[in-house]
Amino acid sequence: MIIEALIAVTFLAALVTFVLPDRIAGKAAFALSLVPVLGSLVMWQQYDASGNALLGGNIAFETDVVWLQLGQYDLHWMVGVDGISLPLVVLTTILTTLAILSSWTPISERESQFYGLMLLMEANLLGVFTALDFFVWFVFWEAVLVPMYFLIGVWGGPRRKYAAIKFFVYTNIASLVMFIGFISLVFGLGDSISSLRLPEIAQALQAGQLSGFAGLSASALASVAFIAMFLGFAVKVPVVPFHTWLPDAHVEAPTPASVMLAGVLLKMGTYALLRFNFTMLPETARSFALPIALIAVASVIYGALLALAQQDLKRIVAYSSVSSMGYVILGLIAYTTYGVGGATFQMVAHGLISGLMFMAVGVIYNTTHTRMVTDMSGMADKMPVTAGIFVAGAFGYMGLPLMAGFAAEFFIFKGSFESTVMAAMPLFTGAAMFGIVIVAGYLLFAMQRTLFGPFEFDGDYEITEAPFHDVAPLAVLLLLTIVLGVQPDIFFTMIQEAVNPILELGGAF
Amino acid sequence: MVPAQYYLILSAAVFCIGLFGLLTRRNALLFLMSVELMLNAANINLVAFSYYWGNVTGQTFGLFTMALAAAEVAVGIGIILVLYRNFDDVDVTKATTMRW
Amino acid sequence: MAGILEFAPAIVLLPFLSFLIALGAGRYMPKGGALAGIGATAGSFLLAVATFVAVSGGQTYNQTIYTWAEGLDAVDLTFGLLIDPLSAMMLVIVTLIAFLVHVFSLGYMNDDGQTGLPRYYAGLGLFTASMLGFVVADNLLMAFMFFELVGLCSYLLIGFWFRQDGPPSAAKKAFLVTRFGDYFFLIGVVAVFATFGSAAFAGPDAFPVLAEEALAGEHSVNTFLGMGEQAWFTVVGLLVLGGVVGKSAQFPLHTWLPDAMEGPTPVSALIHAATMVAAGVYLVARMYGFYALTPTTLAIIALIGGFTALFAATMGVVKKEIKQVLAYSTISQYGYMMLGLGAGGYVAATFHLMTHAFFKALLFLGAGSVIIAMHHNENMWDMGGLKEKMPVTYYAFLSGSLALAGIVPFAGFWSKDEVLYETLIHGLGGSPILLAAYAMGLLAVFFTGFYTFRMVFLTFHGEPRSETARNPHGVRWNVKAPLAVLGVLAATAGLVNMVPVEKLFGIKGIDFLHQFLDGSFDSLNAHHYAELIPYSSGYIGGEAGTVAIGAAVSLGLALAGAGLAYVLYNVPEPVEHTEKLGSIKTVLYNNYYQDEYQVWIATGVVQPISRVLDKFDQGVVDGVVNGVSSVSLFLGSRMRRIQSGVVSNYAALLTLGLTALLLGLGLIGGWFA
Repeated sequence: MIIEALIAVTFLAALVTFVLPDRIAGKAAFALSLVPVLGSLVMWQQYDASGNALLGGNIAFETDVVWLQLGQYDLHWMVGVDGISLPLVVLTTILTTLAILSSWTPISERESQFYGLMLLMEANLLGVFTALDFFVWFVFWEAVLVPMYFLIGVWGGPRRKYAAIKFFVYTNIASLVMFIGFISLVFGLGDSISSLRLPEIAQALQAGQLSGFAGLSASALASVAFIAMFLGFAVKVPVVPFHTWLPDAHVEAPTPASVMLAGVLLKMGTYALLRFNFTMLPETARSFALPIALIAVASVIYGALLALAQQDLKRIVAYSSVSSMGYVILGLIAYTTYGVGGATFQMVAHGLISGLMFMAVGVIYNTTHTRMVTDMSGMADKMPVTAGIFVAGAFGYMGLPLMAGFAAEFFIFKGSFESTVMAAMPLFTGAAMFGIVIVAGYLLFAMQRTLFGPFEFDGDYEITEAPFHDVAPLAVLLLLTIVLGVQPDIFFTMIQEAVNPILELGGAF
Repeated sequence: MVPAQYYLILSAAVFCIGLFGLLTRRNALLFLMSVELMLNAANINLVAFSYYWGNVTGQTFGLFTMALAAAEVAVGIGIILVLYRNFDDVDVTKATTMRW
Repeated sequence: MAGILEFAPAIVLLPFLSFLIALGAGRYMPKGGALAGIGATAGSFLLAVATFVAVSGGQTYNQTIYTWAEGLDAVDLTFGLLIDPLSAMMLVIVTLIAFLVHVFSLGYMNDDGQTGLPRYYAGLGLFTASMLGFVVADNLLMAFMFFELVGLCSYLLIGFWFRQDGPPSAAKKAFLVTRFGDYFFLIGVVAVFATFGSAAFAGPDAFPVLAEEALAGEHSVNTFLGMGEQAWFTVVGLLVLGGVVGKSAQFPLHTWLPDAMEGPTPVSALIHAATMVAAGVYLVARMYGFYALTPTTLAIIALIGGFTALFAATMGVVKKEIKQVLAYSTISQYGYMMLGLGAGGYVAATFHLMTHAFFKALLFLGAGSVIIAMHHNENMWDMGGLKEKMPVTYYAFLSGSLALAGIVPFAGFWSKDEVLYETLIHGLGGSPILLAAYAMGLLAVFFTGFYTFRMVFLTFHGEPRSETARNPHGVRWNVKAPLAVLGVLAATAGLVNMVPVEKLFGIKGIDFLHQFLDGSFDSLNAHHYAELIPYSSGYIGGEAGTVAIGAAVSLGLALAGAGLAYVLYNVPEPVEHTEKLGSIKTVLYNNYYQDEYQVWIATGVVQPISRVLDKFDQGVVDGVVNGVSSVSLFLGSRMRRIQSGVVSNYAALLTLGLTALLLGLGLIGGWFA
């Protein structure tokens, strides 16, 4: 019941925050958001599951009750976590709390609505990561978009309407494509399933129950469904060439929304890819190894090169997210313990580090009211603590050992290099790894121009060190990054337990 | 016994008259009357088939339709009155302000 | 001494502790955290010496102490300690130099009233800890991780004076260029894991041993991309070598090192003598058992080393700043070590690594002392005549210079001579590549002698050429003491391995370093490597004759270079004779335009590509997305014309639709057939 309690408390917190006066909304939202943090930590501490939730493993904190009937299908309220989803649940709660803390300075109008929407989004995100019934999952999946749409559209920058609509429409159409793909699988399974519970579907697919549908053979149907679902999730991740909504959304979004967008919302895409495409249709995934690996490498290199061309700090971090998510795709397609496990670990690591970077950029923006690299230099002189954390975070992003990013990237590289899905994987791995050089290039250039050198700033604002409540979330994120980098087993063991069953899947048809 | 075809022909004729009126008239009252004609054409069909199959369900539906037509006229005349009040006319082509 | 090796982790942890103390509490402490660093490095040094003694007594230590990532059904990634003669020797060197650098920093930074000292001492502490972690690493992954941390620390310390323009730029360059090398290294690490399933240096599943057995056909390993084992091992070796070339500043990734002189001078000493640059060469020595299996890799190492030694030495000839000369000498000297390793002279290269650490740290600290005296003016043409003003610095510096130039009996002579000797005999044994590398190395000896003594004469001899040189700033004990210690070491460290004397006069048992390095694990000792290397030896006039000829030639060349410098520059009013070289000087002064082309690659190739891609992304990729939305908006604006608002039209459309539907259904239903 703890999952239901977690989601319900977060929803309630959102409702309460909506009606509170603006004056105390921020502090109240922060206090209320600590409850789900505690809840998720309790879950982590009491976690006792093993195996993959979809493939018959033990599911932790499972609830499974029939909810509605829809034709031949029972709709279940089924929630639970395994080693793949629990880290993301913890990430979501922690990051939301820190994002709320980081909103105290920049958000100064309609505060109660803002914090209410943040908590509402958290509740929906928790639903996405814990739901194990397709219907429930899909409701949460779509519901996440709504708060984010308003966060960008109301509190965003000058082009916020364009960015918000682009974000909403793009990802919504993608959901439609994904939905078609998934439902065609459901129809292809015919009478062999009686509910839309993901474990049931995954196991039916494994048992070879998929039959042809609408004139397609079973394997052709699997391919079509795989492609449709991949496209749908690819927009969310995003991978090249479906990434263009991301920089726009990030640039216009207020800092806390960017943090959530990069930190958690992108992981919905990779999480779903892992849960649906790579767990349910492993054979099809293996047969598409070449195009998927190509997309992964393209995302890494192309995203990094684009980041190199940007002048806006937030755009730099936004494009680098495209690059980092490319590693996740590479790890997923590897089908090795370290590959898929590393990809899952990267979801958490990138969530922390990109959150850290966006917050750090936001803290600088709060004081300077500009994010342009060309508008400032020598900020480290006036904001030493912020600059120090910025440098540390940037090195984390570059994959400095003993920080979470390195662990994730090394796992992925190791896993994909020794992958057996195709003979050329070492070459793809080597190509993708060049991303670590480019990422160092653009972050070092950006830091040299903004943080170092003689202090110069063209603007009327007085530059001083940021207040404590702005720096504190940065410090917490940095600490978490280092802790995870020194001891990845905090999550990596449970991730591997959940991932290994996927690797053992054989061909079903 | 009159064959069912004759009823159907009658019904089709009434329907076509109604349709013709609908497509050619601009007066809202005539519109309403044409619609009534088409509705009654359907009614004839219902009753005719009911008679043909010896099943009273069709006739029951006919009664329902009549009740519906009565209600429809009440609403329709209300709309026409509003139309007249706003546009000083009962020409249906005048009221185009709600497009786009 | 039993169990002293159990305390080895403390050697690494003490400087790390000083990093934490300086970072957290440095601003509240006297001397800005320096004392914590001095205490920690002194403690580490004492422990390292104890370790060294224990290892000399035949003890070794190879333990996994921490599981970083536990693999379920997969390889565990672990940290561990490998203490053998090589790492024990390096531990002593690193801790000693770090300790002396900390002490020297009291004079260089604190007495100078610098700000940001806690940051400085935190950086030094972390730098030392990272390097020590690298030295004791028992597997390639751990080595890589600390290798990268070393890179981070160099970034932080080179960019210490971040309020100016130069240091942040140099720091960025240092990190980026070495990162480029580390990219290959990381692929290499991954490849080693994928090939052998283990990256341990020693022990039953040590990857060099596995490689050796695989080549002997005893069992098979995974190879990739359809390559045979020998070819694949060569590829892996070269990949790891990428990191070595980057960190040890070998051609063509040497360009970061001269720029790195922007950092504080004690940091330069640490980087060049004992930590970052040494890390590359140390890595090759650490996994020498693997490199020795692949002749191609060895030949490439030797060529890179020989070429870099000569190439950097020529550039050192024309530099104006004292630290620039030293920077190029560093590149050149590490070239010798690479040459030694590539030529199969494992002990020789390790020996040179040790002696170089002493005399290069000495020279940098000496230069630092001169720079203090000169109020941070580094231009040698403004110096002169400092000999009388600062005798301690002068004699220490002279000792280091004699060692660098390779004049008998100073430390550098013995080690450089052994490197060249190994190259010569293995070249004579039938390897023209080694002979070519030997020729380059030999030629570099002349240049080394010349630029070293040009530096000495310009700085200390002749008449003072500026006001500051006439009235130099004094230095205190904290500068002089480290110089004195290192001065003695630079003069005497070579005596631990007098191979030429042994060979010429037949005195057995004075090649202490050889014996010491033989006392390692079976797969890691010098004797084993000597069996592995794919070279045979050839001699001119017997072994003793070759030794004599080699030593005589290299000593002669060094003296010739030094003599030329004496003639040209040991005069009261020296002039820039290098002007006579004309355009060659311009080329040399601009470092063969190596920086230019690398900057061009970054700003002239990569940046335009990224801008074009950005245009492409905005225009084409996003254009398609926006195009789709524009098309649907346009279609909508046209389609809505149907919605005319005229009821009759709707009715007509309805009728038409009904008719069309009826006709269509009729056609399908076959009514008209």
